[in-house]
Amino acid sequence: MLKNYLLIFWRNMTRNKVYAAINITGLAIGIASCILIYLYVQHELSYDKYFTKHDRIYRVVNNLIVEDEVEKASVTHAALAPGLAADFPEIETALRMINRNKQVLRLDEKAITIEHAFWADSNYFEVFDYKLLEGDPKAVLQEPNTMALSKDVAAKFFDDPMKAMYSTFRIGSQSYKVTGIFEPVDAAHMKPNVLTSMSTLPAEVRQNFKSNWFGTNSYTYVLLSDSKAAAGLQAKLPDFVKKRISPARGNTTERVELHLQALTDIHLNTDYLWEAFPVGKKSYIYIFSFVGIFILLIASINYMNLATARSVKRAKEVGLRKVVGADRSQLILQFLSESILLTVFSVFVALLLVELMLPTFNSLSDKNIASNYFLEPIFAASILGIALLIGLISGSYPALVLSHFKPADVLKGSTTPNSGSAVLRKGLVVLQFTISLVLIIGTIIVYSQMHYLKSQDLGFTKEQVLVVDIPSGDTTIVNQMPVIKEQLLKNPKITEATTTVMIPGETTGVIIFDVERNGTMAEKTMNTIFVDYEFLDLMDINLKAGRNFSKEIATDQENGFILNEAAANVLGWADPIGKRIGFSDTTAGRVVGVVKDFNYTSLHSPIEPLVIMLAPQNNGYLMARVSPNGITEAMDHMQETWSKFAPSHPMDYFFLDESFNKQYRAEEKMLTIFGYFSLLTIIIACMGLFGLASFTAEQRTREIGIRKVLGSSVSGIVMLLTKDFALLVMVAIVLASPIAWYGMQQWLQDFAYRTPISAWVFVASGLVALCLAIVTVSFKAARAAMTDPVKALRTE
Amino acid sequence: MEELVIDTKNLQKRYVTDTVETTALAGVDLKIAKGEFVAIMGPSGCGKSTLLNILGMLDSPSDGTFKFLGHDISRATERQRAKLRKENLGFVFQSFNLIDELTVEENIALPLAYLGVSKADTTKRVQEAMERMGIAHRRSHFPQQLSGGQQQRVAIARATVSNPALILADEPTGNLDSVHGREVMTLLSELNDAGTTVVMVTHSPSDAEYAHRIVNLFDGQIVTENVNVKRHAAELL
Ligand SMILES: Nc1ncnc2c1ncn2[C@@H]1O[C@H](COP(=O)(O)OP(=O)(O)O)[C@@H](O)[C@H]1O
Ligand SMILES: [Mg+2]
Repeated sequence: MLKNYLLIFWRNMTRNKVYAAINITGLAIGIASCILIYLYVQHELSYDKYFTKHDRIYRVVNNLIVEDEVEKASVTHAALAPGLAADFPEIETALRMINRNKQVLRLDEKAITIEHAFWADSNYFEVFDYKLLEGDPKAVLQEPNTMALSKDVAAKFFDDPMKAMYSTFRIGSQSYKVTGIFEPVDAAHMKPNVLTSMSTLPAEVRQNFKSNWFGTNSYTYVLLSDSKAAAGLQAKLPDFVKKRISPARGNTTERVELHLQALTDIHLNTDYLWEAFPVGKKSYIYIFSFVGIFILLIASINYMNLATARSVKRAKEVGLRKVVGADRSQLILQFLSESILLTVFSVFVALLLVELMLPTFNSLSDKNIASNYFLEPIFAASILGIALLIGLISGSYPALVLSHFKPADVLKGSTTPNSGSAVLRKGLVVLQFTISLVLIIGTIIVYSQMHYLKSQDLGFTKEQVLVVDIPSGDTTIVNQMPVIKEQLLKNPKITEATTTVMIPGETTGVIIFDVERNGTMAEKTMNTIFVDYEFLDLMDINLKAGRNFSKEIATDQENGFILNEAAANVLGWADPIGKRIGFSDTTAGRVVGVVKDFNYTSLHSPIEPLVIMLAPQNNGYLMARVSPNGITEAMDHMQETWSKFAPSHPMDYFFLDESFNKQYRAEEKMLTIFGYFSLLTIIIACMGLFGLASFTAEQRTREIGIRKVLGSSVSGIVMLLTKDFALLVMVAIVLASPIAWYGMQQWLQDFAYRTPISAWVFVASGLVALCLAIVTVSFKAARAAMTDPVKALRTE
Repeated sequence: MEELVIDTKNLQKRYVTDTVETTALAGVDLKIAKGEFVAIMGPSGCGKSTLLNILGMLDSPSDGTFKFLGHDISRATERQRAKLRKENLGFVFQSFNLIDELTVEENIALPLAYLGVSKADTTKRVQEAMERMGIAHRRSHFPQQLSGGQQQRVAIARATVSNPALILADEPTGNLDSVHGREVMTLLSELNDAGTTVVMVTHSPSDAEYAHRIVNLFDGQIVTENVNVKRHAAELL
């Protein structure tokens, strides 16, 4: 019997190629999209699960609270890890990681800048059990001047990365012997490339770390003896703060709160500052999952609609099978097995598609998903389950309709049987187009928001600014900065040069200031940046009152402060110039200038109060403004100057506008992926429409013939066939607009600066969908309308 | 007493569409014994097909009782009817009604598939049926590739392959020329001779000649029943 079903299925497919193609392509694209989204979501959800002790590892983070301001920081005091380990027996071991950011690794003549270097305690590999390709987890980071490299970094120096073992690299003034090579883990919230042993740090630094409860510099992780101990430990932390931290800190107004974060929670559930790597966003996981389900839904609807529309053609078969003794359940089984077969077939096509699209998808989504995913039994099982489910869902309605036919009715041949509810079919088409339109409108709004952000007046000019990362810790270079700046300006294509600790787009520092308020001094926490004399000029930041820092005025170095308007406002100073500001131990600090507000972090957030301080000797970046017509020349000159003054460091540079726009990367990534998927939904929906239009045209062949004989024109008939479908799309536009408007309004809440959602977005998307639908349908309608009426009437 | 294949009392069928109510059968009492060949005649629209469909359990009566081989059909479930149908009935239609996507051989094998007959047995019985109907050389053709007469022979082969107790034929010669029509009638009466009960709707008096008994239907009621003397005479000889 199954063989019989297969035969009928196969012959129906091969005899109705368009129908088969629409169904299989639609389902395959839908399933492929779903698989990609599944892999993405799965990858996002699998963060840090690689480590076998993941359920026992917690990160300790802290809230630093001053007045009502809370800074949630992922970096903690260096003394925290040893302190916790000593006080709590339920902590098996605790460890610190300190971010060293970018470092130049040297081996003989070879020097390569490597990102994401960390200092780590010696128990690192016992807690995080990376696969060590070389080395012993217990011994790797024990000794001073040792380090572990990821295989990828080792491969940059050696053709055979394992050869890196025991070779001695140099970073800055120190040398490090490689005592371990590890296989990097992609889905981990920390992806170190280089780990250097904490014991390398000078003894006085390590001593200081033991009791330093002021500076926060360490990521702190604890390994619990039992995953259930976390809640109990969390409850004891306030006491720990009271006993250990507060006394050591003396009477600062800043309070510390400690929190445990489950390791596997970090990637998606963190809103702490100073993360070493970009974190994920839970909302995107939801959005993507919905999009995946929607695409699949749209493809399944195609099957439902086409199968019921086509049911007329199979009515006779159903009648006959009943005549020879089939009961209804057997017929339901037959039609369900057809839909399941079709989906299983589509799954194979989909897997092929995924294989083809994976590299593109990886680069779009910044992931590194390997194509061996389907070897995982869970994946194979769930893909099979999904195929079954889609087959069942999309096949059940057609199966019910078809199996319901009464042989006495259908075998007469003259009447057309009821092929299911036409209203339902129309409703489903409306649903398909509503979903597509919501996605399209969403894409357009995301796009216009991105455009809006990039074209916003930030209050400074980010274009044409070259930024060079000054290698940290090399004081010889830092000391030469004034000379380097002078040298740079010798080239006419470089108009300005300055240094700064922080560039716009980065998180600023936060400092508690003493400020003058009603005659007395009061504390106020504000964002702070440290810059050089030329910073404001170079950035085109305008002064509103007072003056810029001046080399002629020696006191500026210690006592000059420049505020932004927001700071002046929040302090309630109508005339800020000359007002007292500083730290508790100084009294000479004065406001010398006020600048117009500029967006120094990102347009996600409104401009907060900012204090600008002078620190020419304390720099992170060298910036140069270059003329638009001389970028290459300016860069050559810069490179030449750099090599002269800092021959041991490769020049690591970027453009300010690029780095500033990087903070919208998450959104841009989403935009691209979103855009592709919405395109796919509309294509699949149109394919379904094409199929439906074919059947309508076929069913109405006779009517069309008669109308033509009676004198109707081709265009009249095209109109007749098209207008019903056009109406459905219009209903979808009406439904989709408020949904999309509401959803995007929510999304825009993430930004302090929002593009207005204008009506044209809805009108334009609606028109596009309508045109697509009309073109699709009228293509079919025109063919039907142009058929010779005599031929049409003969076919009966 | 002779065993009754069909026994109906006051069988009624009404169709209700929107506003109009059509009475297709207005109380039919009909008894058909095992081995009989009954022809049902009457003008178009008098309810012949309706009666046949009800007898074949493809449709249910609005009122009245119907016993099939002693089973009370009005109380049977859909599933039980499907079972009775596949085990005891064969249908032949005016418009052949073969499945276009199946070959001759596959069409004939279909009833056996629903009966759960083994593969070897199926092959054998389909082969026999095809040979009996003279269509074995067309086994792998599709219905559209056959003439009307050939299609009807395939349909008869399909109706008889499961050795049903009763064959219901609705104007089996209606779409055939007289030569092919006669061929079909010969096949049917041969089956009847071999013991199968046959109930046939027909417009053609010459076809009705093959039956033992002719039932005349008019406006949903049996108006006359005639014993076909010629056929009985032939049998007595
Ligand atoms: N499904 C149906 N719905 C409504 N009326 C029907 C239906 N089937 C048959 N009829 C009506 O019942 C009457 C008998 O039909 P039928 O049994 O097909 O006649 P015959 O086969 O004798 O030509 C006719 O008047 C016909 O119009
Ligand atoms: Mg009839």
